[in-house]
Amino acid sequence: MKRAIQRAASEWIEGLRIALSSLAGNQLRSFLTTLGIVIGVMTVIAIVAIIQGLNQSFASQIGNLGAHTLYVDKWKWINTGEDWWTMRNRKNLGRTELEAIEREAVEALAVAPMAGRPVTVAAGDEELSGIRCTGTNERYLQTGGGNVAAGRFLGPSDVDLARSVVVLGADVADRLFPGVPWERVLGKRVRVRGAPFTVIGVLARRGRMLGMDLDTNVTIPFTTFLRDMGGKRSITIAVTSAPGRLPALEDELVGIIRRARRVPPEKADDFSLNRQDQFLKLYDQLTGALYGVAVGVGLITLVVGGIGIMNIMLVSVTERTREIGVRRALGARKRTILMQFLIESSVVAAMGGAVGTGLGLGVAVLVALVSPLAAAVTPGAVALGLGFSATVGLLFGIWPAWRAANLDPVEALRYE
Amino acid sequence: MTDTHEPLISIDRLARHYFVGGETVRALDGVSFDIRHGEWVAIVGQSGSGKSTLMNLLGCLDTATSGTYRLNGADVETLSDDQLADLRNKEIGFVFQTFQLLPRASALANVELPLIYRGVSRKERRATAEQALRSVGLANRMHHRPNELSGGQRQRVAIARALVGEPSLLLADEPTGNLDSQTGEEIVRLFGELNARGHTIILVTHEPRLAARCPRAIKLMDGRVLGDGPGAEVAALQGPRAVGT
Repeated sequence: MKRAIQRAASEWIEGLRIALSSLAGNQLRSFLTTLGIVIGVMTVIAIVAIIQGLNQSFASQIGNLGAHTLYVDKWKWINTGEDWWTMRNRKNLGRTELEAIEREAVEALAVAPMAGRPVTVAAGDEELSGIRCTGTNERYLQTGGGNVAAGRFLGPSDVDLARSVVVLGADVADRLFPGVPWERVLGKRVRVRGAPFTVIGVLARRGRMLGMDLDTNVTIPFTTFLRDMGGKRSITIAVTSAPGRLPALEDELVGIIRRARRVPPEKADDFSLNRQDQFLKLYDQLTGALYGVAVGVGLITLVVGGIGIMNIMLVSVTERTREIGVRRALGARKRTILMQFLIESSVVAAMGGAVGTGLGLGVAVLVALVSPLAAAVTPGAVALGLGFSATVGLLFGIWPAWRAANLDPVEALRYE
Repeated sequence: MTDTHEPLISIDRLARHYFVGGETVRALDGVSFDIRHGEWVAIVGQSGSGKSTLMNLLGCLDTATSGTYRLNGADVETLSDDQLADLRNKEIGFVFQTFQLLPRASALANVELPLIYRGVSRKERRATAEQALRSVGLANRMHHRPNELSGGQRQRVAIARALVGEPSLLLADEPTGNLDSQTGEEIVRLFGELNARGHTIILVTHEPRLAARCPRAIKLMDGRVLGDGPGAEVAALQGPRAVGT
């Protein structure tokens, strides 16, 4: 028993040694053979790394939307076939719906209106245009609107009294008051669309979401917005539920809003309930397709690479016919020869896989450097690349190895 | 372990027929003889006499069409492919005309090869192989590759490889065929020494002069035994044009 294990072990080591010395003896040939595998693995690894990078940044961006928040809107955020005109012609959402929800929705933990428009914000000589101004209430942060870094957020009295106070986004604070610490920005006067406002707080930096900069905005009381920025716009109402109660909230809201908007029972909803996971679903569809294409391309290349390996292994078997004969004469069993050649083809392929993995990660990092795409290097991707290529080597090595193992020793020894 | 009264090799009406193009070629056509432990036997014959076929059968590389072959107590024709491989590994040491060394491996690695297929530990393998190389006078050539060795040295490596597993039979196929006469002479002398140390040797050759130097020779012609006796006598035998009966 011990003998058998020792024999298997020494045959394995011998197989590896032969494989490595054969590779070293035919460097150019080994390189060309593995090129197919290298390219295949490189493609797959690069695409997987980029998609995983996208996933990570998308997940963190989407995190800016509250996970338990429904956004009631005239528009469906992700339009899947609904007529643009239908939505365009919907009645605007406004205070009626907001008040109905605040009054009736028992599943709602927080309700915040969100009215928005681009404005120009100025302080002293600094003037910033194209800043998004959001009119909302004190519940806004609870629905997923970020955190306060300095000062305070809007309070109930700011909204009730329609005070001219403003909470600045991080970028706005930095650009209006360059070099001034946020604590000392508090109390300063700024002009929003020409009207004077007092800074009461600065929001913590949030980064970007789906290409939208979340730090170049200002937030003012909802009532002040309606008074100063125009009250005819349709608003979005963010409604947050307790964790796990989102479906219940959705059911409840549909009823409340339909009643508030007097939608006849036979008509469809003339508003949309948007939520974070709709983005996730759409995103998964997109990247799922991309994944499929990448895996398809990679597999085809790997098969082509595998055929290359099979070809070169057949050549190698022919070249080493006499060696096979000698080994058989000295006591190598058929399966020893079989294993020797399987090890060799797997090693060739795995080496190609290793090089391909390295190149693929390099490409992904390069893409991440020169483009806004992110790249993530995960151990899983590396293991995938190596495992896949070794498997290809194993599969495409079977036939050559089988031929080698079944050579007639007498013929093999006599082979010129 | 082995009953020394039983011959090492016992073959009885051994035949090997090939079927080529609908025709039966009787390469070996009913050969019988015994070889005892410690003998040095030449199998001599011209090309086409069947000596190569006989060597392949004796070396368990090929199986007979009919007849029986008993090697050191084992009925060879009943063995599976794996068992034949193990038998070759354990019982037979091959020495070939073209040396058949692995070109990319050192002398030492070549000699270690049979021990790898036997599952001998690395350390023991190395020590045994070094000992075998020393015994053929190559103590200072162990790490050379075959292409860095002379013909005679290569054949010594091959002999060391054949000896390393302590087989019961050394099977040499034209071992001097690729060597000049002086080097060939050295190799023959080495076989003499090995035989004197107790090794059983079968030397397959087409040269009557070489066969004449062996204590016993078996002469083949057309797949049959023409003569079996003291080397000098048998080697000199001139076969009739047709041995017939």
